[in-house]
Amino acid sequence: MGGVIRGLLPFAVAVPVLAALQVLTADAPFLVILSLTVGVNIVLAVSLNIVNGMTGQFSIGHAGFMAVGAYVGGVLSKVTSEYGISFLPEVVSDQVLFALSLVVGGAVAALFGFVVGLPSLRLKGDYLAIVTLGFGEIIRVVVQNTELFGKALGLSGVPARTTLFSCWLVVVVVVVVAKRIHDSSHGRALLAIREDEIAAEAMGVNTTAYKVRSFVVASFFAGVAGGVFAHYQSIVAPSSFTYVKSMEVVVMIVAGGLGSTTGAIVAAVFLTLLPEGLRSVLLAVTGDGALAQKVEQIRMPLYGLLLVVLMLLRPQGLFGTRELWDMGPFRKKRAPSPPSPLSSSASPGAAPEVVR
Amino acid sequence: MSLLKVHRATMQFGGLKALSDFSLDVAQGDLQGLIGPNGAGKTTAFNVMTGVYRPTSGAVVVDGERMNGRLPHQVNRAGLARTFQNIRLFKELTALDNVKVACLADDRPPSSPFSRARIDGLRRQGRFAPAHALDAWGNYLDWWRALFLTSGYRADEAHIEERALRLLDVMGLAHRAGEQARNLPYGEQRRLEIARALATSPKVLLLDEPAAGMNTKEKAELMVQIRRLRDEFALGVLLIEHDMKLVMGICEQITVLDHGETIAVGTPDQVKKDPKVIEAYLGVESKELQA
Ligand SMILES: Nc1ncnc2c1ncn2[C@@H]1O[C@H](COP(=O)(O)OP(=O)(O)O)[C@@H](O)[C@H]1O
Ligand SMILES: [Mg+2]
Repeated sequence: MGGVIRGLLPFAVAVPVLAALQVLTADAPFLVILSLTVGVNIVLAVSLNIVNGMTGQFSIGHAGFMAVGAYVGGVLSKVTSEYGISFLPEVVSDQVLFALSLVVGGAVAALFGFVVGLPSLRLKGDYLAIVTLGFGEIIRVVVQNTELFGKALGLSGVPARTTLFSCWLVVVVVVVVAKRIHDSSHGRALLAIREDEIAAEAMGVNTTAYKVRSFVVASFFAGVAGGVFAHYQSIVAPSSFTYVKSMEVVVMIVAGGLGSTTGAIVAAVFLTLLPEGLRSVLLAVTGDGALAQKVEQIRMPLYGLLLVVLMLLRPQGLFGTRELWDMGPFRKKRAPSPPSPLSSSASPGAAPEVVR
Repeated sequence: MSLLKVHRATMQFGGLKALSDFSLDVAQGDLQGLIGPNGAGKTTAFNVMTGVYRPTSGAVVVDGERMNGRLPHQVNRAGLARTFQNIRLFKELTALDNVKVACLADDRPPSSPFSRARIDGLRRQGRFAPAHALDAWGNYLDWWRALFLTSGYRADEAHIEERALRLLDVMGLAHRAGEQARNLPYGEQRRLEIARALATSPKVLLLDEPAAGMNTKEKAELMVQIRRLRDEFALGVLLIEHDMKLVMGICEQITVLDHGETIAVGTPDQVKKDPKVIEAYLGVESKELQA
């Protein structure tokens, strides 16, 4: 019982803090929108890091799972917004339905994660990268051609329910989950798989089950992130979920240091704010709105450039595999460690590996 | 009582028969050797026993359970643990975490419906499928307990830590607990691999050239240690070793492989007089053998 109370402690702290922030930012809609964009990206980066960083697999289709959550959650909210829960005040009813649509969107994304992950994670090699990339594109093409999802124009009329409070509560949940997975025997098993899959299997770790489980968890949170996203954009368009979005998340976790949750957070914040900052600076310096608009177009090349510079200067990413809580006074005895971020083991279809 | 039984296992890679008609029987308390020149198929035999390779034909039985088609982790859960000729530690993890990984799920309290004792009990009754299911479900529940930091989960973690530290201590590595595995000297990495294998609570321990790369003194110490482990943990031990003298000195029974064929089985004295063995080890090693 005491354990469960301790388990809920982070939320006991987060809820009043976030509520206060929500009240304080009531007059700053621009700041709120910015914080929502940052929050969604943190959720995406931290969850993908469970797969790519901790488990050492290589998924590059996170936007696909985000899309599933966005569309499923969005449609669900649109449908239920006409009804509401009669015995509750409208605001409460809205938030309950919102939470429900997030969870359902996440669950459907998790289901897709299972279906995609199980066959590709059983095999060694780069299958996951290929399959996730394909999955992301398939999802996008499917929604583009489905009446229910508004085709290429997108799903409009999703009720605006995301608040700073709810978005950042999701951030807290994903960070707590990631940290607890990392620190538990399951996290150790994931790290072991990253280090040496054959040895992990030989030590009694059901590597397939663990890989699938971490992938399903990541897919779930990508779906929830999609739901959060859908409920502050008035319109959910397929163009938000291209492989460019997936690569953006990959860039975030590689830059932050694969395997480091705090690294993923810092990189997500920085890379989200960077274009915004650039836009403001350009606008202030040149006074030219058109030029500032161009920032969106140079965002990806800019990320690419940043990543190249970072890989030259610090190939293990900003944080390596370390966490904020491992540093300074909390520091455990552990040197920084660079798992090479972009390489992965055997090529698909190879003969049985010679094990010695 | 036989804990590991290999029955006429054959392993074929394309045209190459790396292992043919290989049979072996290891009981509790045994200390057996598997020797042979380079490329004889010794490591392949280990891979077949531990489920890394699926034998072309033949059977592997661990503590009464047929392992054919089982995955390596299932073979390990059934009671077979190994080390690797080319050390395969989790390099970036600490020595302690290396051992903790292998402690997985073995430290649930005896009262737990998913305890190792209960699972082993089912195995003894020959009910292998429920044993596997119980193991898998216990593991799945652990995941949720970890997410909610239940007190049971924290007790398990404490127990795992305690046991991992004890195993490091047994292998003389307690002072290295917080160090990254890749930073340990070679000999200690080999010992850490043994500690890690022991953490899975094996019935039979397979050691693939555990003394490779060690100096003579280290080797002698290791052999004494292996004998002690066998007694302390009530294991059967099967070891591959290149240093003839060591194997002859420590093992009670030896199987000799050459080109995948079993050319001799017997006590050290019988094996070293066998003409086929002498022929296989022509040259320096055959003199060594008779010394
Ligand atoms: N996965 C594999 N694919 C092809 N050949 C293999 C494989 N594993 C082992 N072999 C071959 O089997 C033979 C025996 O190898 P091995 O068992 O490693 O010998 P050793 O007795 O030195 O441990 C060698 O010729 C090796 O090349
Ligand atoms: Mg070998």
